[in-house]
Amino acid sequence: MTPTASDAPADFEVALVSLNQWQLAWRRFRRHKLAMFGAGLFLTFVAIAAFGPFILPYEATNVPYPLKFCPGTTISANLGCPPFNDGHILGTVGGTQEDLLTLVVNGARLSLTIGIGAAAFASVLGAIVGGISGYFGGWVDTILMRIVDVLLSMPLLFVIIVFAKVFGYGDWRVILLVFALLGWPGIARLVRSLFLTLRTEVFVDAARAVGVSDLRIIFRHILPNAMSPIIVVTTLSVAAFIVTEAFVSYIGYGVNAAYNPTWGNILSNAQNDILVGNWWWPLFPGLAIVLTVLGINFMGDGLRDALDPRSRE
Amino acid sequence: MTAISPAGGADPGATVPDRPLLDVRGLRTYFHVMDGTVKAVDGVDFSIPPGGTVGLVGESGCGKSVTAHSIMRLIDIPPGEIAGGEIWFDGRDLLKLSDSEMRHVRGGEIAMVFQEPMTSLNPVFTIGDQISEAILLHNDVNKKEAAERAIESLKAVGVSAPERRVKQYPHELSGGMRQRAMIAMALSCNPKLVIADEPTTALDVTIQAQILELIKALQARTGTALLLITHDLAVVAETVQTIAVMYAGRIVEAGTVDQVLLAPQHPYTQGLLNSIPGVKKRGRALSVIKGVVPNPFRLPPGCKFQPRCPYAWEACSASEPELLPAPNGAKSRCYLHSPEGAGRREAFEKSVAATMESVGG
Repeated sequence: MTPTASDAPADFEVALVSLNQWQLAWRRFRRHKLAMFGAGLFLTFVAIAAFGPFILPYEATNVPYPLKFCPGTTISANLGCPPFNDGHILGTVGGTQEDLLTLVVNGARLSLTIGIGAAAFASVLGAIVGGISGYFGGWVDTILMRIVDVLLSMPLLFVIIVFAKVFGYGDWRVILLVFALLGWPGIARLVRSLFLTLRTEVFVDAARAVGVSDLRIIFRHILPNAMSPIIVVTTLSVAAFIVTEAFVSYIGYGVNAAYNPTWGNILSNAQNDILVGNWWWPLFPGLAIVLTVLGINFMGDGLRDALDPRSRE
Repeated sequence: MTAISPAGGADPGATVPDRPLLDVRGLRTYFHVMDGTVKAVDGVDFSIPPGGTVGLVGESGCGKSVTAHSIMRLIDIPPGEIAGGEIWFDGRDLLKLSDSEMRHVRGGEIAMVFQEPMTSLNPVFTIGDQISEAILLHNDVNKKEAAERAIESLKAVGVSAPERRVKQYPHELSGGMRQRAMIAMALSCNPKLVIADEPTTALDVTIQAQILELIKALQARTGTALLLITHDLAVVAETVQTIAVMYAGRIVEAGTVDQVLLAPQHPYTQGLLNSIPGVKKRGRALSVIKGVVPNPFRLPPGCKFQPRCPYAWEACSASEPELLPAPNGAKSRCYLHSPEGAGRREAFEKSVAATMESVGG
């Protein structure tokens, strides 16, 4: 020890940068290669959905000059033309002769809107109900959880059919709403279980001892501590809702293909043509679904690792 | 420790000048659980004058923390229940206040410091945010002023570089620093009473001493009253004026620090003092109070300490003694201080003298 050492500012315990939980999580997420790839994939599709329709020369659901034959062949254009055909990179579909790329790009809009919208809506509802239920307990908890039980026992498919009949067939807003209304109970259960443990933390008592109101404790003090699992579940349910939308539209109870293409209803229309040999028609919307869902699931796994406080490096 | 009960409840002694700041009367807090009812606090009386300091001492499970939580009304109902009693604070019965009135009392007039500084701060907020929130809740200030006052309050509790500390998260601070932050938060709204529930238990010994010095200094400077809850007799000896010793949900002895710690008047207090390791006891086995804390579902008849008490006789299991005045001015819940126990007191006093000798000051 030299005497000069004491001249240095005695400030060893103050960290140089203070990172909050999100900054720390982002640092961990960045190192997760597969998750970054998944996030890139997902964001690519989001960008395609957002900007694609403005760039493409064709309009979905509107073919002004139908052809008689596919260019350079004697195949009837009415059956659909294969990819790389007269500017139709992914080919055209049978019957209406719409450009498949235009359909898939426009379909991305609604498929993603329904997936993200329903997941976000369900999470907000689930967080509110689960938070109140878990925090207050008692009869509030009993009533809310019985509602959750009832909703979880309802089969999604039949409810959609009923809603579609009542509120007009094929409206995407109805589909989104039904998904959200049937999706929140699962999230509410998760949030409730998180709150049951978090509400016994000393910092909750400390907040009450300072005079913070119950609702503020629920949403300002406990909810941020429960955010990590909620974010992971919300992310994964985006993928689940995209698949469900595709399924529901495929069997013909989803969004009406005549007005709004979605990946599901493009697939639905393609089902008869698979036998004719028009492989491109089901392949590309199917690929879009698979890649998006895969990207979201990779991203969700990465988020799970990044947001887990026990996985500190 | 006097409890002058004012008649009626409308305006309890508003004109009495030396009215206590906090007056707990006959407090009963029960917990209804699957196996029955736990009478965690069963008839506790004590009072704190404005600016006074009281220590509540007892072993784990004796009801001292439940008493503190009852005063703040932080008991979860159900399973808890405040089955009886009154908690007069500054002219109001806290048990009769509405939830929103109680929120103003909490933090604003009575503040609390918790045992675990590691868990009593919210991990997702900065220290500054948490102190500011308390200030914003109880004062008519804007966010900027609150943030400035948060820095000032951290400075007041001896935190270095408070301007940077306010931007830090709890995990970046040491245990001692966090407890200082908690104390800063408790004092940020100038409360009339601070309840410190085992504030030093989770800290190591050197930090304990610092935090106790800090609490003492701040208490003296701000003139706020202090209710210190601890199982550590050394902690109360240094910090408070009067002591109440709790056992099985009751106060068994109450008096000034000197009365209780230098001349204990209850066999339980004597037992506690006897179990303190001391230099003069080197090499000998530590003495303990024989027996175990009674099962809360099946409390013994009469005096709750009677099964473990070396001086107990028939009267002790027949009925429970009141808090009786002891010769030195303290109060003790023991039949040794009743006329019938006079004959047995000599043996007890000899034993106490031996204890005090072995503890050695």
